[in-house]
Amino acid sequence: MIEAEGLVRRFDARAALNGLSLTLDAGEVLALIGPNGAGKTTLLRVIAGLLRPDEGAIAVGGHEYPDKRQAARPLIGYLGHDPLVYLDLTAAQNLEFYADLYGAPTDRVLSGLERVGLLARAYDPVRTFSRGMVQRLALARLMMHDPRLLLLDEPFAGLDAAGTELLESVLRDLGDTRGVVLVTHDMAIAARHATRVVGLRAGAVAFEALGPVGHEELVQRYSEVIS
Amino acid sequence: MTAASRQFRALLLKDLRLELRTRQTAIAMVLFAVVAMMAFQFGFGFRVDDTTPLAGGILWATLALTAVLGVGRSFVPEREQRVLDGLLLAPVSRNLLLVARAASVFVYLVVVEVITVPLVTVFFVQDPAATDFALIAVVCVAANFGISILGSLLAAMAVFSRARELLLPVLFLPALLPVIIASAGATHAVLGVSNDMPEYQGYVLFLLVYAVIFALVAYATYDHVFDD
Repeated sequence: MIEAEGLVRRFDARAALNGLSLTLDAGEVLALIGPNGAGKTTLLRVIAGLLRPDEGAIAVGGHEYPDKRQAARPLIGYLGHDPLVYLDLTAAQNLEFYADLYGAPTDRVLSGLERVGLLARAYDPVRTFSRGMVQRLALARLMMHDPRLLLLDEPFAGLDAAGTELLESVLRDLGDTRGVVLVTHDMAIAARHATRVVGLRAGAVAFEALGPVGHEELVQRYSEVIS
Repeated sequence: MTAASRQFRALLLKDLRLELRTRQTAIAMVLFAVVAMMAFQFGFGFRVDDTTPLAGGILWATLALTAVLGVGRSFVPEREQRVLDGLLLAPVSRNLLLVARAASVFVYLVVVEVITVPLVTVFFVQDPAATDFALIAVVCVAANFGISILGSLLAAMAVFSRARELLLPVLFLPALLPVIIASAGATHAVLGVSNDMPEYQGYVLFLLVYAVIFALVAYATYDHVFDD
């Protein structure tokens, strides 16, 4: 689903990605961990096609960037630091907007809002929502077009217990046809959901652990990366 | 409905819904245009017996400045609410993003013109004829194509710049000079007692050619504007 080879991305003189290679197959949940500035968000934005690597090659779903980037876009669902919703539109209008952009059926708007527990607020402006509610709406936006590749950058931030359970249920129910790259600082979540864990440091892979990884082992590996 | 037309409708509807809810762009443009008209009126309206020859220039100088204001605000929701990535992630052609943004700017300009054209005739034109409005409407439509396409292109370029508030007028206003000259010329050719149709048609044709040229420039460059 993702094939990245030798990715380098610099911001001025600093390399946020430094020769990073990565693959992801359908059915995998890859947890990316590492300290701040390790290159996790940059990697996700490169995979999403929002940033162009200075060096290296990347393909998503077999579509090589940058030439076939447009063909890869419908496959990708991206949940980053910003919810990517208009605060002055209602929740339903936001989802309808994204449904139209992605060619998704509009009957998913209300069912999506129901799934994230926002059906009662469907016609309220997003500006009136709490942060957790906005994050739930962002989750509904993410799932609107049924993406095959989920790129999740600290997606649990701002979610309450019910919202966290909701997102965890999404991760549990992915099936074998989807892949996930999950950036998180929460080792318990990484241990629960990841089928593979990659630790990043200074834009390169510091370690890779295959198979479900125990919480204590992850904490240990994470502290090694930080140190 | 094709995928592209559905996307276009969604992008345009989104802009209009945001404008209806916030009333921050079209209303600001109308207010600015009316105040500018009054400034012109107080500036020399009382000192000149017949301001009809000046009316075209006043109208289009006002509309050009108003367009700078409107175009400058056109990416404000995406920038302030950090939604631009949402547009860029979607499988939407970059040129469709341009066309939809230009369409919303076009609509804002029409709203402004519906108010300012009658105001100009009231303030500055002696004995306006009913046919003048129809002919000026054609000039407005022809000019709006060029203004909205060029404005949307430059606004997209400026949105990634730290000096966007400075950059946009500095780039946009000089590029609008041909539109101001041709639109004012076409308006002048038909306002009041003058009725120089060949001159009018020549200016309108120029405006359409201007719009086509910048549409081609935008088509060739817009994809790269959003490319990191």
